[in-house]
Amino acid sequence: MSAGGSGGGATAAYPPQTIMAIGAIGGLAGIYLGHFMPPAFSFFGGLGAICAIVWGADAVRRVASYGLGTGVPSIGMISLGMGIVAALFGLSVGGVAGPIVSFIAAAIIGAVIGVLANKVIGMGIPIMEQAMVEIAGAGTLAIIGLSVVIAGSFNYADVVQYVVANGYIALIFIIGGMGILHPFNANLGPDEKQDRTLSVAVEKAAIALVITGFASSLHEGLMSAGLNIAVGLVIWAWAFMKYYGFIKRDAHAVVGTGLLPSAEELQ
Amino acid sequence: MIDALMENILSMVYIIIGGVLISWSVHFVPVGGAPAAMAQATGIGTGTVQLAAGAGLTGLVSAGFMMNVTDNLPLILASGAVGAMIMISVTMIVGTWVYVYGVGCVPSSAKVKTDPITKYRQDLYVSQGTEGHGLPTVSFVSGVIGGCLGGIGGALVYYALIEVGLAVGLTAGAASTVTGNELVGIAAMFAIGIFFVNAVIPSYNIGGTIEGFHDPKWKKWPKAVVSSFVATILCAVVAVIAISQLGVI
Repeated sequence: MSAGGSGGGATAAYPPQTIMAIGAIGGLAGIYLGHFMPPAFSFFGGLGAICAIVWGADAVRRVASYGLGTGVPSIGMISLGMGIVAALFGLSVGGVAGPIVSFIAAAIIGAVIGVLANKVIGMGIPIMEQAMVEIAGAGTLAIIGLSVVIAGSFNYADVVQYVVANGYIALIFIIGGMGILHPFNANLGPDEKQDRTLSVAVEKAAIALVITGFASSLHEGLMSAGLNIAVGLVIWAWAFMKYYGFIKRDAHAVVGTGLLPSAEELQ
Repeated sequence: MIDALMENILSMVYIIIGGVLISWSVHFVPVGGAPAAMAQATGIGTGTVQLAAGAGLTGLVSAGFMMNVTDNLPLILASGAVGAMIMISVTMIVGTWVYVYGVGCVPSSAKVKTDPITKYRQDLYVSQGTEGHGLPTVSFVSGVIGGCLGGIGGALVYYALIEVGLAVGLTAGAASTVTGNELVGIAAMFAIGIFFVNAVIPSYNIGGTIEGFHDPKWKKWPKAVVSSFVATILCAVVAVIAISQLGVI
């Protein structure tokens, strides 16, 4: 399970299909709700981003369990690299179908990179192609979801004006990447458990929602920003308590072995 | 969409060349990862992606600065290359100080007996149980070459994307409101996206540590360059279409 060593498939309580459905359907639903509802409800985009980030973290967990030889963060970075290219492309040509076009573009780019990684570079990870598609899709939905929080919609013009031109996109890039790459990196080891890793993903994604909530005050006003931040903080607190519970469950017992014998006792 | 691609065919060629250069440059940078951080392998104690991204983004910033004053391509590329070279050199020299004065080890490699540049014996100085430590002269020179190529690649991608935007009537000048410079923002983000894709693909090819161009693993570079070539074509197509659409809205 280490980053450099060889490994195998990861054991999981939630099957990949379930997480995939949560990520793709939940992510798209959140993005569309955030787009069509009034600006005050832009936090739905953040909820979509949370679903997508959990999916991405689970995909990173599955592929990185095989041992990449370069460390886990690299796969999170390629996720956001593919995601940003696909997200802006889809929004630019798709109109109201933008997020879906982005998602399909990300899947194509991810599939090509996955095939290249396995066939040309010869990494030999059986799930590489599928994982790259999932990771690219999750990165794309995370970026669009967090953009919806800031801009209130996913119209290309709005996203470019309120998210890209003023540089908030760099913020989304890094905090979205943290949500996807950090959970497995922080929890990896012989006793890594899926629910513990994913609770970190929810927690990181909630922090992303809080931070983009702050950024949304510039365009959406203080009321919407306050609602975004409040939703993010509630989810963060809940996920953090869950994580704390999982840590206590997985932590090993501390056994007292007594003090070292004193000089008299040894005689 | 097809029209946009046909009109910007030269820019796309620039982007693809830039992506391939970035991919190639990663192989030059001496990367040690966690073992190097513990002085058990040569190179800088961090991952390929972080180093390549650092060098490339510094190159991007210095190229963007040069584009404020001129649109001369060789000058922009030189500015990007020098920015990235300075960044990677500073990282390596400070790393060497830490290894020599902090850890107390001699920069030496266990993979080659003598340094290919200085011809000094190295095997006498390698600590037992390690693959070498620090940054020998050849690794330093190799890293500077890598920074140069990566900076040129990043600057080329950024320049090409800005040209695509200028062709559809956008402006990239300094005379704009704080939040109104769409082209610079979107071109920079696409350049960073393409940079990360092309920095990660070769790092999968290397897998672990690399000391520079004398490292045996360096011979694997054509595989990564071919992969990056294909991946960058896809990225270039979507980037050119997305930026051309900025002129429509």
